[in-house]
Formats: sequence, C-alpha cells, structure tokens
Amino acid sequence: MRNQTYILGKLVEIAIIFFVIMTALFFLFRLSPGDPISKVVDPMLTPEDMRYLIEQMGLDKPMWEQYVIYLKNFFIGNFGVSFHYGEPVFKIIRERLGWTILLFTSSTILAAFAGVFLGKIAAWNKGSRLDSVMSISALVCYTLFIPWFALLLLWVLGFKLGLFPLGGILSPELWVGNASWFEKVLDIIHHMILPLLTLFIINLGAYLLLMRSSMLSVLREDYIITARAKGLSEKMIRNKHAAKNAALPVVTSVGLSLAFSINGGALTEQIFTWPGIGRELIFAVSNNDYPLAQACFLLIALVVLVANLIVDILYAYLDPRITY
Amino acid sequence: MHQNKGTYRLTWRAEFCFNLLLLAILLVAMAGLFSSCQKTSEQAFLKIGLPEEPRSLNLWLGTDANSRRILSQIYQPLYHRHPETLEIIPWLAKGKPIFDPEALTYTVNLRDAKWSDGSDFTSEDVLFTKQLFFDFKIPRYYSKWNIIKKIEALDAHTVVFYLRKPSAIFMSRVMTAPMVSKREWEAVAREALAKEKPLRSLQDHAIEKPIGTGPFTLVEHKKGAYIHMQRNRYFFGKGLKIGNHLLGPYVDSLLFRVYGTSDVAILALKKGDIDYYWGDIQPGYIKDLKEQTNIDLYFNKKSALYYLGFNLRKAPFNDKVLRQAVATVINKEFILTRILQNFGTPMHSVVPSGNHFWYNPKVRKYGQGQDHDQRIKLAHKMLKGAGYSWDRPPVTEEGKIVTPSDILLPSGEKMEKFVILTPPADYDPKRAFAGTMVQEWVRELGLPASARPMAFSSLLDTVKGKHEFDAFILGYGQLDLDPDYLRSFFYSKNDKPRGWNMSGYHNLAFDKIAEDQMALVDTQKRKDLIWKMQEMVLEDIPYLPLYNPHIIEATFNERFTGWVAKVDGIGNVWSMCVVKPVQ
Repeated sequence: MRNQTYILGKLVEIAIIFFVIMTALFFLFRLSPGDPISKVVDPMLTPEDMRYLIEQMGLDKPMWEQYVIYLKNFFIGNFGVSFHYGEPVFKIIRERLGWTILLFTSSTILAAFAGVFLGKIAAWNKGSRLDSVMSISALVCYTLFIPWFALLLLWVLGFKLGLFPLGGILSPELWVGNASWFEKVLDIIHHMILPLLTLFIINLGAYLLLMRSSMLSVLREDYIITARAKGLSEKMIRNKHAAKNAALPVVTSVGLSLAFSINGGALTEQIFTWPGIGRELIFAVSNNDYPLAQACFLLIALVVLVANLIVDILYAYLDPRITY
Repeated sequence: MHQNKGTYRLTWRAEFCFNLLLLAILLVAMAGLFSSCQKTSEQAFLKIGLPEEPRSLNLWLGTDANSRRILSQIYQPLYHRHPETLEIIPWLAKGKPIFDPEALTYTVNLRDAKWSDGSDFTSEDVLFTKQLFFDFKIPRYYSKWNIIKKIEALDAHTVVFYLRKPSAIFMSRVMTAPMVSKREWEAVAREALAKEKPLRSLQDHAIEKPIGTGPFTLVEHKKGAYIHMQRNRYFFGKGLKIGNHLLGPYVDSLLFRVYGTSDVAILALKKGDIDYYWGDIQPGYIKDLKEQTNIDLYFNKKSALYYLGFNLRKAPFNDKVLRQAVATVINKEFILTRILQNFGTPMHSVVPSGNHFWYNPKVRKYGQGQDHDQRIKLAHKMLKGAGYSWDRPPVTEEGKIVTPSDILLPSGEKMEKFVILTPPADYDPKRAFAGTMVQEWVRELGLPASARPMAFSSLLDTVKGKHEFDAFILGYGQLDLDPDYLRSFFYSKNDKPRGWNMSGYHNLAFDKIAEDQMALVDTQKRKDLIWKMQEMVLEDIPYLPLYNPHIIEATFNERFTGWVAKVDGIGNVWSMCVVKPVQ
C-alpha cells in the first residue's frame, strides 16, 4: 500500500514537472533570437514573402494565443507539422526513433553487460596485471573523443580494409535491386557494426569502472567474510553475493543511460550518417523548427522522468532493505 | 580475504561466446563484401553524395540547396541559362519569345514535350502554373510574376504573356520558373485553397511521385538512406542539341545518398562508393585528392558575394570617407592567399567577375596594387582631409608608420568602440577569420574595432531585423545571374525590417537608375545602367566586396565522364543530361 502511494505521488510529480518543461520549452524557443525563416539568405525572398510565410506558420499570432493552441493540440495528441520538412512531427520522430533505439539502446545494453562482466573480473583480481590492463583500457575508452575515434574506425576498417561501409544505414544499390529480405537485414547489420562498435567501446569504459569500484566496496562488507566462513565456493561468493549487490549503482546508471539513449548522439549520428533523433534534434533547434524541437525534447523529458521512476521501483526490488 | 581468492580465468563458456562474437562480425563483414561485389557488378548507377538530406520533394517547400538538386532534375522551366555563355536559351520553349513592344506581350511557343506520366505538356500547364503562383502568393515567384497582367493560350503550344509594364527581368526571373503539371496539382491546389492556411497546406502536401518534364523521375525516396531516380523516357531533350550539348541522359539511374561529414564523403569518393560529391570541397583536401589518379578535380567560379557591410544609419559609418578609408586598408590579396588558400578571387564589385556580362571591371578598386604602408598612408590622408585627428597619428611627419592612438572624430570627440559582427568559425571559418583580419587592419588607423562572432540566426536577426549593428561580414553563396539583386540590396525602399537593404543605403540617384533598369528590355542599355549602379555602390560603399571563393568539386573518374562545368560548378541539369559511362 505504501509503495502504491509512493508511485502515485511520483506520477503526480512527473506530471507537474512535465508540464513545467513543456511550458519552458515553448517560451524558450520563441524568445530566442530569430524565427524559422530568419536564416534564409535568399534575395529573391522579399520582406512581404517572409511576413506571409510567418503568417502561414501561425507565428504572427500573439504568444499567449500560440501557447493556448500548443496546449490544446498537445492534449489531443497533435504535435503539429514540422516547419522544415512539412511532415507531421509524430511521423518524423517515429521514423528517426527506430534507428536511434536500434543503435544507441543496443549499444548501451551490450556495453552494460560487458562492463558488469569485466568490472567484476577486474575487481576480483584487484592489483593484478589483468586489473591494471582493464582499468587503464577502460579509462582510455571512457575518455576517447568520439569524432576522432569514429573517423579512425571508418578510415581503418571502412576505407583501408574495406570491411565495412562508410556510414549510412543500408546499401542503396542493394535495396533498389531484387535483394531478398535476408540480404537486407544482413545489410543493415553490416552498416550497424561500426557505429555500434564505437559506442560500445566508449560506453564500456564507464560501466567497467563503475562496476569495479562498486564491487570493490562490496567485497569489503562483513557478509562476504561470513559467506567465506560458511564455506561457499569463490564462484558463488563472487557471482551471487558480491556481484548482485555491486550491480545496484550500475542498474541506476543503465536505466538513465537507456532513457537518454533515445536522445541519440548527434556526433556519432553525424559521422556515420545515421538518421537518428540526435541529428534531427540539432537540425530542428538550429533551424528554429519549433514543433519538431519541442516534440523531441518533450519525448526525452518524458522518457527520462519515467525511467527515473522505474529505476526507483527496480531498486526496491533488487535491494529488499529499500522500501517506500 | 584476498589470499583465499583464486585468480580468475575466462571460462570455456566466456571464451566460446567471445569467439562466437568474433566469428559473427567476420561473417557479417564477409557478407557485406560479398553483397557489395555483387551489386556493383549487377547494375551501373550514377551515385552522388549529398551533404544533407533534402528538406522536401514538394517543390513549394523544398527550397534548400539539396532539395533543389533533386527537384531540378524533375521540374523544368521554359528557358534555361546556357552553361557556357550564360545566355537565356529555350528549354521547354521552342525558340526565342516574340516580343511586341506596343502591346507589351511575349509570345512563347512550346516544344512537343510530355510529362513523366506520359501526358502532354501544353499551354494549359503554363496557365495553371501562373494561377498557382497567384492563388497561393508563392514566395520567390509571385513577386516576380506579378508583372504579368494575364496569360492567354492561343493553342496547345502557344502562350501569350501580357505584361503590366516593360520588364527587364521577364526572361531571367519569370521564364526560368519551373513549370508544374495541371494534372498533378489541380486537385491538391483546390483542396489547399479551402484551408485556413492555403500556402502551408500546399507546402505540406506529401509528394510521392512528382511529375515533371526533366531528364529523370523519382522512383523512391527512402528517408535517411537514399533517393533513387531513373531516366525519364518522355524527356523532351533526348537526342536534341541544346546549348552545344547533345542531350541524353546516358545513365539509367541516379542514386543520391547523404554523407554527414565531408571527411567521410571524400573517403567514399576515393573508394569509389560515389561518383560525384555534390558539395563544396575544402581546400585542405586538394593535395590528397590530386594524388589520386581516379579522382578529377574541378575548380569553378561561384556566383557569390562575400562582403563587409556598414550601418549607414548611424555613426561612425554614416561617414563615406571613413568607409572609403576602411576599404583602402583592407588587403584582399591577403584574404585570397591566406584565408582562401588561393582558391578564389578577390572581389572588387558587388557583381561577381564570373558573371562576365554584368560585371563592371572599371569600378573603383580601393588599395589595389598598393603595399601595406601605402594603404595606411592613403587612408590616413583621406581621414585627415575629412577632419579626423589623432594624438599620435598612424603616419608620422617623416612618413613612418607607427601604432596610432585612438582616432578622434572631426568634432574632436573620441570615436566609440564599434563591433564587426561575423558568423562563428564553426559555421564559416573564412568569414570569421576575415572579420578578425579587418579588425586588425582598421586598428592600424586607430579605429577601435572588435570582431565578434555571433550565431548565424542571431546575426541575421540583429543585422536584418533590428538594424542594431555597426558593421558585419556576410555573404551570398549563390546569387542569381540577373543583377537585379543590386536593387534589392541598395534600393532605399528596401531599408526596412527584414528588408535586403541591410546597410540602410539611401541614394536618390541610385534609386532612379535602379527603377529605370527594371523597365529596360534592351539588354545592352540595361547593362550600362547596371554598370553605373556598381560604380555608385563602390563609390559610396555601403557594402565592400571582399572575396569570392571558387567552388571545388571532385568526381570519381573510373565509371562516368563528361561533366559540364559552369559558374557554380559541375552539379547541374546539363551534367546529368550528358554524363556518360566510361567506355
């Protein structure tokens, strides 16, 4: 009952925060300098043309009126039409989100599993050569500069060795031909490997270090000594008693990373020409495409808020000492 | 605790998983290699890289450069520019229009052309296109077509345009507008007109298969992945010699794909993944590309203008002498050699030199042929003559150049600090660097200048919308070849928020000439006035032209050949019509 009340309270809190974010986003975009056509440098476009375009976008109305329309549209599930693409925002996000989830979410999950696994090994072998190699490698991975590393992988594996394509999500030549369904799936996986590898290596370092440090503090706990005193095997102590508890902070981190992963990564997406939501978000902001930018930010805000709640609930499940 | 702990070794399971993963990666890579080998041997596409995803394939919304690259293969105008002479020549029209100066009419005969759906292109389509421009007040077109009083179709292939008044831009602006199919757009337009925001409805209409008369038609646009176009079997130009080129197209398909960064696009070009990168290549890549035997490089002039603009509405730049002195100390050769790395030309007039017919080479050229000291001395003399003074002037009595104290206005007051706004270096390093150099040069005259990079949309909002600035560096990357833009930039009436007269230039004599040239149908007479306008601008310098970079492009030469170079590069409809597979 107490848990249910807690969740209900949290949901109300999320609704209030979400509404505040929604309002802040609306006013921030409109108060920032410029508008959707201020970047157009085309002498053929007369001031009258510009005024007419602004009017057609509905931006000539007073701001409060625009805000009321925005709220009304939101509550009937209408996110509007992108000023830039002329397509419904919902459609654009749906198209981009799939690619982002495919790449970023899968790389986060893979890196988390590998990080927990390797972090556990490093902590268990604290002070050994293996630990040193793993820790230093993890630090290097963690601090890699994404554009440099991504371009390096593209140059070596894509250009020099010719093993992988130079960006994109598929080979157009294959898709416009008579390729089978299986070949097309294989083609997407083939295109996904390099960006996935880049993100995996960069994320791996963070999870490995986090797990290692958490595991080291758990290994100092009394119950580990008790477990040994009971005569449990080393494998049992490491995997069942230490690693499970040590994974708690990693769970929080993975939960939030998964939420943020729908945000994509503008740099990675740009270099690998991955049509995800990160690149779109940057374009939308720089082009003052208010409906698209607002919807992207709202989606991220919603997912992060919900992920926080899920992590809280998961915490209570993983650690019986925690109750709400 | 640690002494009981055994050293961890990878179990056979972990090793197995690891090997499995490696194997999977290897297999996928092999499969990819296999499929790419297969696909290149099966089909021959002309593969083109684009810097960004086209905004829209709806002609009325897709006004960005990348959309235009696709749409220009589909929608065609009645007249086109000759790629070499830049003259306006018949395209969908048959022969030159017949002008009746008394009745103010142009009679245009149309070719026997077909739309890509097989229907005939007729006068009805021309009339419909005009009606669409008027009904929706389509930006860029309506303001130009507004000079037309009415259009009549004499028959299916003859159209008469009745003008309200004589117009110099009829051929260059009206006749070069794209024609659309009545069959494709009529129902869409009717539905959009009934909406609250008609233009927006028209622009938001999703176009799956655009119908055009151009050399290619759209097969598929897979967003985020590629655009596939195939040869239009109804293309009117097939086998015709227009503009000294025997038109094809000679390739079956075009495949466009986007590259997020130019680094990757260049790698793709070198690897042969694409045959042409339809984007400007930075000079830093040239050395590497020149070493590749399978890459051809093209350097062409751009119809562009990069300039320093002054705010003439307020001090200090409301003084013509001060502007002229600033123009004198600016070293355009330095900009050319250091900033453009010799891939461009210094600009002296506001019409680019590549636009040979309209460019006036006789305009006043500030500081040309003079060294650094001579420039400073000349600018110092000009300012001193206009009443400016210094506690310590930049040129001593003995004629030595020294660091001056801050300049004093003719009133004896100290000049207030002023700012030169530029786009940020990540947006355009050339303009940002040019701003810093201008700052240093004018400081040698004691002018308290500072260059400040500003986000591009904020910069335009400040300069064009609010007029709250002292000076700025901006540019036009692709100016129309008709110089009527001089009227847009410097006509007094265009000095208004969002107007193109950003400097606030007011000159009644200039306005008169600008109006007169608009009504001149005789090109040679108009040229005299356009030259006069350039001279006036360079005398008063609301804008000081700085430089015009070359457009640098590259192609992979193992599969296709025959690109047509023109002002603004080899990426044009002419190239797409004549490029052939290498024998």
